[in-house]
Amino acid sequence: MKLLDRYNRVSLLATISMIVIAGIVYYFTISFILTNQVDKDLLVEENEIFDYVSLNHRLPQVFKSDDLKIRFTATPDSTIVRRIADSHFYDDQEHEDEAARMLTSSVRVGTQLYRINITESKVETDYLIRVIFMITLGLIFVLLVVLLLVNRTLMRKLWEPFYETLRQIKLFNLADRNGIHQVDTRIDEFHDLNREVTAMSQRVLQDYQSLKSFTENASHELMTPLAVIVSKLETLMQDSDVTERQGVLIGEAYQTVDRLKKLNRSMLLLSRIENKLMQDAEDIDLRDTVRKKVIEFQELLADKHIVIREDLEPHHIKLNRDLLNIMLNNLLGNAIQHNSPGGRIVVRLTGQQLSFCNTGVPNSLNQQTIFQRFHKSPESEGTGLGLTLVKQICDNYSFGFGYTFADQLHCFTVVFAN
Amino acid sequence: MASFETVVKILVVEDEAGLRDSIRDYFAEGGNVCETVGDYASALQKINMYRYDCILLDITLPNGSGLDILDALKANHHPDGVLIISAKNSLDDRLQGLDLGADDYLTKPFHLSELKARVMAIVRRKSFNGNREIVFNEITVDLLAKQVLVSGTPVKLTKKEYALLLYFIANKSKVISKNAIAEHLWGDEIDISDNFDFIYSHIKNLRKKLIDAGSGDYIQSAYGMGYKFTDH
Repeated sequence: MKLLDRYNRVSLLATISMIVIAGIVYYFTISFILTNQVDKDLLVEENEIFDYVSLNHRLPQVFKSDDLKIRFTATPDSTIVRRIADSHFYDDQEHEDEAARMLTSSVRVGTQLYRINITESKVETDYLIRVIFMITLGLIFVLLVVLLLVNRTLMRKLWEPFYETLRQIKLFNLADRNGIHQVDTRIDEFHDLNREVTAMSQRVLQDYQSLKSFTENASHELMTPLAVIVSKLETLMQDSDVTERQGVLIGEAYQTVDRLKKLNRSMLLLSRIENKLMQDAEDIDLRDTVRKKVIEFQELLADKHIVIREDLEPHHIKLNRDLLNIMLNNLLGNAIQHNSPGGRIVVRLTGQQLSFCNTGVPNSLNQQTIFQRFHKSPESEGTGLGLTLVKQICDNYSFGFGYTFADQLHCFTVVFAN
Repeated sequence: MASFETVVKILVVEDEAGLRDSIRDYFAEGGNVCETVGDYASALQKINMYRYDCILLDITLPNGSGLDILDALKANHHPDGVLIISAKNSLDDRLQGLDLGADDYLTKPFHLSELKARVMAIVRRKSFNGNREIVFNEITVDLLAKQVLVSGTPVKLTKKEYALLLYFIANKSKVISKNAIAEHLWGDEIDISDNFDFIYSHIKNLRKKLIDAGSGDYIQSAYGMGYKFTDH
């Protein structure tokens, strides 16, 4: 859940419950005050009656009013308790019962005792309360809308630097050397966050660069000793009295050094591709290049009795020729090397993608580990960097690169941008 | 014997003694002259005094750059062939070297057989008599027509077999490793190393074609190491 939504939810809930509680308190308070007011009116009426009686020694004339009714009833009962209570008021005009307050009292005129019933309708107060209730409701609604709008716009604006920082962190990539930039903000928290993230990205980049240059330098430094070993072994090979056993040993040592050499070269190549040191691109007829590559590999294909099917549409592409070569060598090389004898390869080129599909082991390769550095099948004697190189090249050109396994075919597909 | 091979005079400018000696041992046979120097100053001295068919030039030298030596050579219009050997497989170095007039560029570590083949190609291109033929006993390779003749009869070879034959002749009487052959024919960035058994069938085919055409059996297997092209 987004912070903003979460905050909105909490603040809205709090606001609504506060307003509802306030409304209830409000209702009862106003109701109480207004009832009090009505009661006071009743007492005033009663007083007037008493005054009238004591002055004139007779009951006052009763006028009918919209909201007040006075009734005198002669009663022998002398135990009437003076009280005010809730009652009903029958509105003669509206013909309906209304809530009311009724004062019951008694007055003595001469010797006759009369019961006084003064009833005052509360319809006016009810109306008032209703109006207040409506206003309160309206207020809640307006408040909610305003609150939502303010949250939405203001909070979004406030959080903008945060989202900008987040976006940069998401895009952060060790390989392309631009770190995270400072975002202008006057909010201390975001400013601090941004400053720390920026500093951290710089540190990470620096560490990564030094690690990379270490790898590169180490690989370079290895080249000369390797060259000496290779040349010494080759010199040793020329010795006329090498026995068969020695020859096999020399041959094995030579092959191993050669593997080391290839590994080293691949590592150097990888770091150069990562550093985007092979930039010069040219327009290349991909169909033609793939065809030539297949011809170049035909002896290897024939050796394993592999049937190759080319399904190539014309496609031109702009990229570095050396990199394309590395890519094709590895893709086609893998398709041959990991193929079963008498297997087949399907090379497919469309305007969108280039795929190499080959028969081989009967089940799918592990999607997770296949593109990892130095991951290779147990029987492979390659460097384990081939697919990594291809992947890196694809990354450089924002091409997609993926593996699928269907119909007993292992497919490696390069998807061109757009 | 091929005329271009009578005497090849080579200068090796390389600061790594181990590598320098191996190169000298590999080249200094069959009347070839192979001189070696290990630093910038002696290299400059040598190129000012003597002419070579080919100079093998390391770029990173103590007290100087091999590229400066190349510069000095070109400034004096010396016709020596130059092959740059460098530990740096960077395009910049390669382009710079070739721009300055180097004939070829080889990255360390390399196979001596590949080095020899490259040097021979440079020497051949530089030879004044415009030698366009390589002769090995009854085998003649017409470099212009890319044709191989055995005792005057053309032999039909595939592109790779042709390249293989040239490679063998350039390294005649030398044991060439299977790795070197594979790399020469398919390039060094190819990541296939199934013991290079596939090399065997090509060698077999080439050998059969040559013998069928009436040539001697010159290709010998050298135990687990590789192959040798020799007439004795």
